[in-house]
Amino acid sequence: MTAVAPRSRSVLGAAVAPFRSSTALGVGLAFIAVHLVLAVLAPVIAGHDPVATDATDVLAGPSWAHWLGTDQYGRDLLSRTLNGGRYALLVTFLATTIAVAVGTVVGCVTAYADNWFDEVVMRVVDALLSVPSILALLVVVTVFDAGLWVIVLAVTVVYAPAVTRVVRGAARTVITQDYVTAARARGERAVSIVFREILPNVLDVVLVEFAMRASWIVLLVASLSFLGFGANPPTPDWGLMVQENRTALTVVPLGTLAPIVALATLVVGLNLAADGLAKSLGVDRAQQGAGA
Amino acid sequence: MTDQQTVHRPQAGEPEQRPLVRVEDLAVSYAAGRRTVPVVRGVSFSVAAGRTLGLVGESGSGKSTVARTLLAHLRAGSRITDGRVLVDGQDVFALSAAGRRALRGGTASVVAQNAGQALTPSMRVGEQVREALRAHGEPDGPDRVVELLRLVRLPDPDTIVRRFPHQLSGGQQQRVAIAMAVAARPRVLVLDEPTTALDVVTQAAVLDLVADLGRELGMAVLLVSHDLGVVSAMADEIAVMRAGEVVEHAATAALFATPQHEYTRALLAAVPDGRRPEQRRPEQRRTGGADRPRRDASVPGTVADTATGSVPPGSPVEPPVERPVVDAQDLVVRYRRGLPAAVDGVSFAIAPRETLAVVGESGSGKSTLATTLAGLVPAESGSFTYDDGTVRGDLREPVAARSQELRRAVQLVFQNADTSLNPRRTVGAAVGRPLRLFTGSSSRARVGELLTQVGLGPEYADRLPAQLSGGQRQRVGIARALAAEPRLVIADEITTALDVQVQAGILALLDGLRRERGLSCLFISHDLAVVRGVADRVAVMTGGRIVEVGPTERVFTGTNHPYTRTLLRATLEPGQTELPDVGDGVQRWRDAPGWTDHGDGHRTRNWEDA
Repeated sequence: MTAVAPRSRSVLGAAVAPFRSSTALGVGLAFIAVHLVLAVLAPVIAGHDPVATDATDVLAGPSWAHWLGTDQYGRDLLSRTLNGGRYALLVTFLATTIAVAVGTVVGCVTAYADNWFDEVVMRVVDALLSVPSILALLVVVTVFDAGLWVIVLAVTVVYAPAVTRVVRGAARTVITQDYVTAARARGERAVSIVFREILPNVLDVVLVEFAMRASWIVLLVASLSFLGFGANPPTPDWGLMVQENRTALTVVPLGTLAPIVALATLVVGLNLAADGLAKSLGVDRAQQGAGA
Repeated sequence: MTDQQTVHRPQAGEPEQRPLVRVEDLAVSYAAGRRTVPVVRGVSFSVAAGRTLGLVGESGSGKSTVARTLLAHLRAGSRITDGRVLVDGQDVFALSAAGRRALRGGTASVVAQNAGQALTPSMRVGEQVREALRAHGEPDGPDRVVELLRLVRLPDPDTIVRRFPHQLSGGQQQRVAIAMAVAARPRVLVLDEPTTALDVVTQAAVLDLVADLGRELGMAVLLVSHDLGVVSAMADEIAVMRAGEVVEHAATAALFATPQHEYTRALLAAVPDGRRPEQRRPEQRRTGGADRPRRDASVPGTVADTATGSVPPGSPVEPPVERPVVDAQDLVVRYRRGLPAAVDGVSFAIAPRETLAVVGESGSGKSTLATTLAGLVPAESGSFTYDDGTVRGDLREPVAARSQELRRAVQLVFQNADTSLNPRRTVGAAVGRPLRLFTGSSSRARVGELLTQVGLGPEYADRLPAQLSGGQRQRVGIARALAAEPRLVIADEITTALDVQVQAGILALLDGLRRERGLSCLFISHDLAVVRGVADRVAVMTGGRIVEVGPTERVFTGTNHPYTRTLLRATLEPGQTELPDVGDGVQRWRDAPGWTDHGDGHRTRNWEDA
């Protein structure tokens, strides 16, 4: 009989273990953390109103007053980039959370149901997956007009099916385990089985899925703004900034470069975190049918 | 290295020969984070050509790690910290990459535990064997492939080569894996639990094949197994491993006759002995003796073949008949329409406080019987009722349609405790859940009490399943079943995944709890030795039908159905150094109508020679 390990230590150990075992995860999380800090402290660091125009100081290069210079309306590029991070992170977090939550619940329920309901839902999922994501987003945004919640809704419609598919794959392997059989044998209700027995055991897959989808959603939201369907013009937004400043690329290259670098570092951070998580949690995305 | 074909092959038993395999003071460590954990410490042995060394020990004793070093293989993260492994005079870990490739499958080859996983599912069997030949520059014509398959005694090799692995049975798959292993005529054969996944009859046949091949080809064989029966029948010498060390190394007969180390003695004592039940566990016989005769005779005519009606009523001297708790008549269970019935017209009964064991090979329908009783698969036809005096119900209904009382009364303990506990929930939660569900309340005190009853302690409530050993997990599984305060426990192969010592503990625990609480039990097992120790009555199943049923001792000693005879003969007993002769495994009987009654409720289904 081995000695009883104090629970607190083991839980702490389990929480810290992934960081020790994966450099990718650590680096990825550091990138994300920097982005979060900058976004939260944006007003303090930047010191300019991101939407205030200044006709006397347009298309200026870097200076003490404007570290990254100004755009064609004389708006401070640093302020816009940092505040753009707030918007990007907020939309990404909301959209990813809702899409992954919906996909996870639907995936677990359909996997457990394994009957006509499962069939119907999965065929609907197949249909949604066959629509190109940017096209589906454009349709939703065009119909409902742009806005934070519309984008969140649109992203949910686009990404929840993919998450559903992945989580369902993971849940199906959990369902064959004897502890699910044991729960069925003692007459547990389906809701209880899904939330007590299945969900906790697909959480590792869900976590990886969250990080992975988040990086795609950041890019998707930026693309949407770039195409003019996302954030409305005065809003500081990375996609919008690239679109606004690309005509002045030769004059103030930082106007385009700054949001692109910000976007790239966030996506790289999310990807590294997702890879590191997958490795340290032992989730094999290829096996879960994540290609869809 | 590569010229092994030209090497002179000494005959078995040839005196004065250089050992083919020499392991010298081997130590292997595994890096877990920053720490290194020694897995194997100071292991030395040698195996000569034509000889077989058995390596036994519980899971985690390092026996597989040692076996695989013979092929210069280490698990990722492990490394050799001391000693060396010499195969055919060469230090395998000093070999170049090319040298290792030539060693693996060329000089030394391995047969893995699960042939179903060792074979590529998308490639025809013949092609896979040909690949093994080609990899070592052997002639790989179709004749050679067929010749190899004939060597491993596969029936009709010409058609087998065109089959895919999933079209073969487990025993046939293992034979193909052996054919591939011996394709390049290796000098050393490593068998890593080669028959664990097979039922007793197939196991005996496969072991017989390996023993003959070892002799014919003059190979040095290293057999790794946790099954003392397998090792004693196969090996010339046995090394017992524990915690990475060899604690005892002796000739087979000597080891079983006079075990020197206390661990070996404990290991031997833990083996359920199917041959001499009266000499073992006398205290159990005594305590169980009082109500045993009444129990045995209490359910006359329980396996009535109603179609023929050939069963006479119980003998007149019997005490008043006790109503069986479970009564099945002509039960048919089918997984899907169009498939053959998994349980095909089975009739049996379980009396109060009785343990009925159902034995049979894999695929005989015994587990289906258990899952049907638990309500996880609905029955197709026949009657299947439950009645313990206070609760009654129809067991044909799936669990969702059963009453709360019936669900509570029938509880299931699973085969594999690793998968029967939710890895994300603590032991306390696992045991507390049925408590709350069936009794309406659950307290730490009550959970602790249940854990204490199964030989753990209240402090285990906060642990996660991953922090427990296999035996401890199985105890939690039993505590979870007991939490509902059942009247009938279904034990589905509960000790199959456990080492012998742990198995003995679990069986004793179950037996004690059963007697203490007056439980009935349906005990499913393929291990006849285990069954003999725990069951009041035994039913033998094959092909979805019961072919023999009777009081345990009568079944083990009396007139038997031919299928029971095959099963009994194929069972390997530790200390028995001869392999049983099970012929070619072809069934030589077919069902005939009616049953023959041998008295005392012992009856066999009639058969005729086929």
